[in-house]
Amino acid sequence: MGQLRLLMQVAFRNLFTSKINILIGGIIFFGTLLVVVGGALLDSMDSAMSRSIIGSVAGHLQVYSDDSKDELSLYGGMSGEPDLAVLDDFSRIKPFLEKHPNVKTVVPMGTSGALISSGNTVDLTLARLRDLYKKRAEEGESPALRANIDSVKSHVRQMVSLMEEQRNKSRELLSSAAVDPLEAEALARARTDAFWDTFESDPFAALEFLENRIAPQLPDGDLLDMRYVGTDLDSFQRTFDRMEIVDGQPVPQGKRGMLLSKFYYENFLKLKTALRLDNIKQEKDLNQKRIDTDPQLQRWVKENQTQTREILFQLDPIKTRQAVERLQKVLGNQEPSLEKLLSEFLSTTDDNFDTRYQQFYAELAPLLDLYRMRMGDNLTITAFTRTGYVQSVNVKIYGTYQFKGLEKSAMAGVINLMDLMSFRELYGYLSPDRKAEIAELQKNSGLKAVDRANAEEALFGEESGNSLVAEATPGLIEDSKAFEGALGSLRRDDLAARVYSQQEIEQGVALSAAIILKDPEQLQQTMEELKQSATAAGLKLRVVSWQQAAGLIGQFVLMAKLVLYFAVFIIFIVALVIINNAMMMATLQRVREVGTMRAIGAQRSFILSMVLVETVLLGFVFGAGGALLGSGIMSALGSAGIPAGNEALYFFFSGPRLYPTLSASNLIAAFVIVLLVSAISTLYPAFLATRVSPLQAMQTDE
Amino acid sequence: MNAAVAQSPIVSITNVTKDYTLGKVVVPALRGVDLQVHPGEFISIAGPSGSGKTTLLNLIGCVDTATSGVVSVAGQDTKQLTERQLTHLRLHTIGFIFQSFNLVSVLSVFQNVEFPLLLQRKLDKNQRRERVNQLLEQVGLAHHAKHRPNELSGGQRQRVAVARALVTRPQLVLADEPTANLDSVTGQHIIDLMKELNQKEGTTFIFSTHDAKVMSHANAVVRLADGKFLDRLSPSEAKRAMAAGAEGH
Repeated sequence: MGQLRLLMQVAFRNLFTSKINILIGGIIFFGTLLVVVGGALLDSMDSAMSRSIIGSVAGHLQVYSDDSKDELSLYGGMSGEPDLAVLDDFSRIKPFLEKHPNVKTVVPMGTSGALISSGNTVDLTLARLRDLYKKRAEEGESPALRANIDSVKSHVRQMVSLMEEQRNKSRELLSSAAVDPLEAEALARARTDAFWDTFESDPFAALEFLENRIAPQLPDGDLLDMRYVGTDLDSFQRTFDRMEIVDGQPVPQGKRGMLLSKFYYENFLKLKTALRLDNIKQEKDLNQKRIDTDPQLQRWVKENQTQTREILFQLDPIKTRQAVERLQKVLGNQEPSLEKLLSEFLSTTDDNFDTRYQQFYAELAPLLDLYRMRMGDNLTITAFTRTGYVQSVNVKIYGTYQFKGLEKSAMAGVINLMDLMSFRELYGYLSPDRKAEIAELQKNSGLKAVDRANAEEALFGEESGNSLVAEATPGLIEDSKAFEGALGSLRRDDLAARVYSQQEIEQGVALSAAIILKDPEQLQQTMEELKQSATAAGLKLRVVSWQQAAGLIGQFVLMAKLVLYFAVFIIFIVALVIINNAMMMATLQRVREVGTMRAIGAQRSFILSMVLVETVLLGFVFGAGGALLGSGIMSALGSAGIPAGNEALYFFFSGPRLYPTLSASNLIAAFVIVLLVSAISTLYPAFLATRVSPLQAMQTDE
Repeated sequence: MNAAVAQSPIVSITNVTKDYTLGKVVVPALRGVDLQVHPGEFISIAGPSGSGKTTLLNLIGCVDTATSGVVSVAGQDTKQLTERQLTHLRLHTIGFIFQSFNLVSVLSVFQNVEFPLLLQRKLDKNQRRERVNQLLEQVGLAHHAKHRPNELSGGQRQRVAVARALVTRPQLVLADEPTANLDSVTGQHIIDLMKELNQKEGTTFIFSTHDAKVMSHANAVVRLADGKFLDRLSPSEAKRAMAAGAEGH
């Protein structure tokens, strides 16, 4: 006891007498700090991100076909969509998975993407006009309808004149060779009073002219990339309880329909001017940026000043007049041009921004369609199927949704939800409806089904008698005559109204299935058990954890951890070398003292423990200091939270702020590492110290 | 004197040689020395620098081993002992006083003196305290127990070292030039102190010195020259011999 106390005392007093010890202590201090803070931050981020991924689409486990060429990657892979084989019949897989006692729910899914056209303003307006004329053709004219038609007509006329104006402007910039004379001619015709005077005599011909010749001249419609997850929407909403409807309503049970992600809706479908104003406001309010200093904000203001066309085209003459009046009042001048008024109004500075922002939403927004798509609109999605042909499906948009805490995450925000039926069609798999439709078509047209193996023989073989070719003569299929029977129920409106049973939804293909577990702690075990039982049952299934399913994103924290551990490893290797060297020097400095102790009668083991106790105490004291400071930093961060500076981080932080927590394992890990490193680095110097001869004590100072 | 001779010697050296190797050159430090020291003696080893005083003391102190010959301390042939056993022998049988005091600088005076007792693990805390205080009393440093070595003068430090050497009540105390780093008055005090302890406790002292004044306190002076035993004189004889040697120069 006395000896140990003495060793501790010697060690403790030596601790602060030597500069080398302070250096070693410093390294240990920062090493521990890094391990504690870095480890805790990454662990917290890991769990936050796992909440994000599990709570949004992945679930705890994902199951997909083992025949797939690529690995499942829910958020998109490095090279586009992964090539997955389908799960032929989800209804067979579901009960199999649900048999496992730890499986709570199984949700079918399919992830895919398509380009959608956001629509050209002229096109959209012309479509509205066409619908009105159709209505007139069916129901006859009424004063209300007439007024409506006239209003839209004058809107179109205004658009044409706006286009002419812009054309004249751009002519100054372009060489005459770049101007297509046909375009100019069409535009000139649409500008004439004669064109509009004769409009009513054949409105559909006039509309066709406008649609074909004028609308394409406005390069306005964007092609938007859209990712969607086809799923059993009811089951999805019940399973992922972070999901909430923001606008509109959920897709009614069993119906076809889509829920757009609120993030996607705001960032891609909102009027760009309004989006830019929102962005400026957010940057100003949240990140304290200023228009006069921040180039990004300046760019947005500049774009708002110059890119007013979107607003100009949207407004019909009546609304244009109202807008002019309101802006004149707000700006206090008599400028008649809406374009100039808008440009002036949107020249915002740090001083007037808040007022202008408020005025925009109070005065202008009611006149505008703020979003290019409204709840209840039909969206035509055109996608390439797996086999490569193009498939179009109309889906009604019921509402927008978001995942709580991930409202601003672009990662979670790219996911739009779609019913499984529409998804299957877009993916190129025939729904029973389509199969029936094709069968009916074959029957009515008198076509024979010819399978591929016999195609050559059937078409050109002697036996065929050329009957297939011969029957396909003009006039056999009457274009005018609508197909009857089963086909009647397949018209677009009916499809949208149709309610599918749960069985219909589940019987059919899915690309993957999300599994929510009752006890997430047993994820690994359940995963293994599911794999084994799938193999045993002869089902070719791959079972992966949410981390793997999330693709690259899932690996992000893992990679960050590897980087941290590598950094820590390097630091401690360096520390090892430095401590080793420093201890060698310290030992050499103390040769006389050690020799004296040996001469007086201290055994080698005593010297060994003396040096080791010193290093371990050193590690302990400075390590504890680092751990203490680390804990302090973590608890400060834990209560204040780390703000997610940009939107990408929302996903990793599972919300606007990360509230990191320090777990005992972080502290223990730090301590073990520090003690291990200091002990290892002292072994050799300690060994050297035991070899110091007692003769060294006899040396004199001279 | 007779009583002492009647006892078996505590140190017995027979035909001991010691060679050092410096690079490839073998330097003989001792060339066959015989010496017997009996319990209670107060012996000075004298001789010019390089005569082998320190080497002889190191062999007696079991911190070094002879090249040939027999060194027997407290009846044990040191050649037959392992490193551990030698250390054990040093701890329990021998006390050391060094020329440069060699106190542990981070420990207090009390702790420095207590140190060998802690290594021995024979006494409990109270016994140790009693023993240490008693020795500090004897060396006149009772009031400095809590001081650190660097707060003491050289003489005080050497007195701490004396206390440390004697705290285990060793049979034999070795001191290599204990007064070399001290002024003559202080050195005198240290020798007086050693002599006093020798007489009171009966502890055997062997110390080396080249100071004739210091030698004069010894029972006997063993003279070495060129690694060889020259003679063993009484102090008065030694004084005369030294004086003659000095005249001779």
